[in-house]
Amino acid sequence: MPRVLIAKTSLDGHWRGVNVVARALRDAGFEVILGGEMLASDIAAMAEQEDLDLIGLNVGGRVEVAERIIATLSDAGLGDIPVFAGGTLPSSGIERLAQLNVQCFPPGSSMKEIVSAAVKLTQDDPLNKA
Amino acid sequence: MVLHEDIWETSSGIPLKPVYTDADVPDSSHHGLLGQPGEAPFVRGAYPEMYRSKLWRIFQLSGFGDPNDMNQRLKFLLDAGETGIIVKHDRMTDDHLYDVDHPEIMERREDVGLTGTVTVGLRDYEKILEDIPIESVYCKPGGGVPQSAPYTQACYWSVAEKRGIPLKALSGTGQSDFFLTYLGCPMREQIPPEAALRFNLDLIDWCTERMPKWVPVSIAGYNGADSGLNAYQELGSVFANAIEYIDGALARGNHPVEDFIHGIGGVNFRTSMDIFEDIAKLRAARKIWSDLLQSRYGISDEKKLRLRIHVVTAGSSMTYQEPFNNIVRGTVMALVAALGGTQSLGVSGYDEALSIPSDHAHLMSIRIQQILQEETNLTAVADPLGGSFLIENLTDELERRSLEFLEEIENRGGFIASIADGWLMRKAEEGNSKLAGDIETGKRRVVGVNVHPIDDSILEVEAFEGRSGQQSWENAMERLTELRHTRSETGTKRSLDDLCRTLDSNDNLVPAVMKAVQADASIGEIGHSFRKVLGNWTPPSNFF
Repeated sequence: MPRVLIAKTSLDGHWRGVNVVARALRDAGFEVILGGEMLASDIAAMAEQEDLDLIGLNVGGRVEVAERIIATLSDAGLGDIPVFAGGTLPSSGIERLAQLNVQCFPPGSSMKEIVSAAVKLTQDDPLNKA
Repeated sequence: MVLHEDIWETSSGIPLKPVYTDADVPDSSHHGLLGQPGEAPFVRGAYPEMYRSKLWRIFQLSGFGDPNDMNQRLKFLLDAGETGIIVKHDRMTDDHLYDVDHPEIMERREDVGLTGTVTVGLRDYEKILEDIPIESVYCKPGGGVPQSAPYTQACYWSVAEKRGIPLKALSGTGQSDFFLTYLGCPMREQIPPEAALRFNLDLIDWCTERMPKWVPVSIAGYNGADSGLNAYQELGSVFANAIEYIDGALARGNHPVEDFIHGIGGVNFRTSMDIFEDIAKLRAARKIWSDLLQSRYGISDEKKLRLRIHVVTAGSSMTYQEPFNNIVRGTVMALVAALGGTQSLGVSGYDEALSIPSDHAHLMSIRIQQILQEETNLTAVADPLGGSFLIENLTDELERRSLEFLEEIENRGGFIASIADGWLMRKAEEGNSKLAGDIETGKRRVVGVNVHPIDDSILEVEAFEGRSGQQSWENAMERLTELRHTRSETGTKRSLDDLCRTLDSNDNLVPAVMKAVQADASIGEIGHSFRKVLGNWTPPSNFF
């Protein structure tokens, strides 16, 4: 069962979107860890300890905070864990994250699309193929 | 958002018939038993002539960046015709009560000022309110979660004192709502609900003695509804929350219920795209409140039984796709609020799913309301849908279901117990997943999202950028450093020691918070005092 961490990058508080996506992933057979609001270092530590297959970031704030998390993961040698993101991302933010191989799902995205992207990301993951 | 195809029902699941007749009207609504607008049980409206005597207040959430940005935006909104002001704070710093050099903020400095304005202490509040006539403008200072409400209100009241305005002249609300922070949007750190209840009871006591036109705690059903509760769950839990306040205040024995009820009887609700259900919801709310105060608390003075309502249109109905469509949605939901008899209204910005409102989106939210008030005759007649077979039927049905939900909460130990053990959060989650599922299957239709989508940049809107987070953060750091260097250190320390002692006692915390902000304690120092004495709440995880 692939393990996915769902974390919030910002302290805006809104859990609604996170919870809906987490539930859809759980129903699709993922083991979901709801991490709440996490700093980059917390996410990297958890990725290390929990052997994550996928990280989902809820970006309720600005895209730079998500970019910092990706950079921290990469510095920690965890850059091979696929990351996807959702939230109130403007199109400029979606483009910036796409350059870091982060697929984005803004409000209104279909759960089916999100789940199939998550499945594909974990299947493509070389760690998971073994 | 309305259900289509084979199932026709309201958002909360009340079946809808193709047509309603006299036979669907409950006995209680016949023969004038409902009373007139302005008469108990107020189902037909809070005031006899409604909008002929007083238009609803145009009251928009606003705030971003620095105190100066906030001040400019408030002036812009007032010039455009807003009739009440809301100082919306940055959730990261103000709702958490963190200084901008707190480790949680340092790593997220790009987010600073994104969701509201950043304050480091009282001095920033003076800037926010510069040249704003607070003696005559209705105001909500602060986004209104219980742990920050004493701070933001103390700042606002202190500005008034400095200007020589008597507190009793101020009108406004502090919100201080449980639904946001303990249900839909839990924060990383917050005082436990029991401590929040004590904060709110302290505010109620303090304002009862000093501020007849102030509503220190305004229960925000909106936050429950937009977190997933349906219409009758929203009403049931709002009144369960109010009962905790009333019983708590009565148990203290400082004031009779007639004296403090004004400070609790101003609440907010959400209107959504479900036109009929939400009109009926506002009517039912007034009746439930009036009946409850009369039967359970023995209030006989009819004026005290009146529920005053503020409505916020559903942010969750505003789509990311084709944002201009949201101007239409905002108009529909504003119309619903007026037909339900609201006293005050905020219309979500059309760019709600992208960013906080741009100045253009803010202006549109005001214009929607002004067009409804000025051009439509909507304000000519009180309760224009009173007597409609459908509306009376739904009002009665929602009252029944809301009272059932209220009873369920009371049977399980009350509102706070139902928050603390995750029960209410689970209810909200069930609502959310059902809605998400219905949108996924197309059972609930959203134009431009799951029906009639087109891919054309003609309908795109730029997200409002505001001041950059880095700059807001740097500016706030500068102000914080100056505050720390130019205040009387011993005076600040003494005020914070007093605050901690007060928090540890049964004394009312409001005077101690007022003293601390006036002694230039920073927001983070006040928050630190709260956390040190009262601890931190961990949200339940069993809702998922």
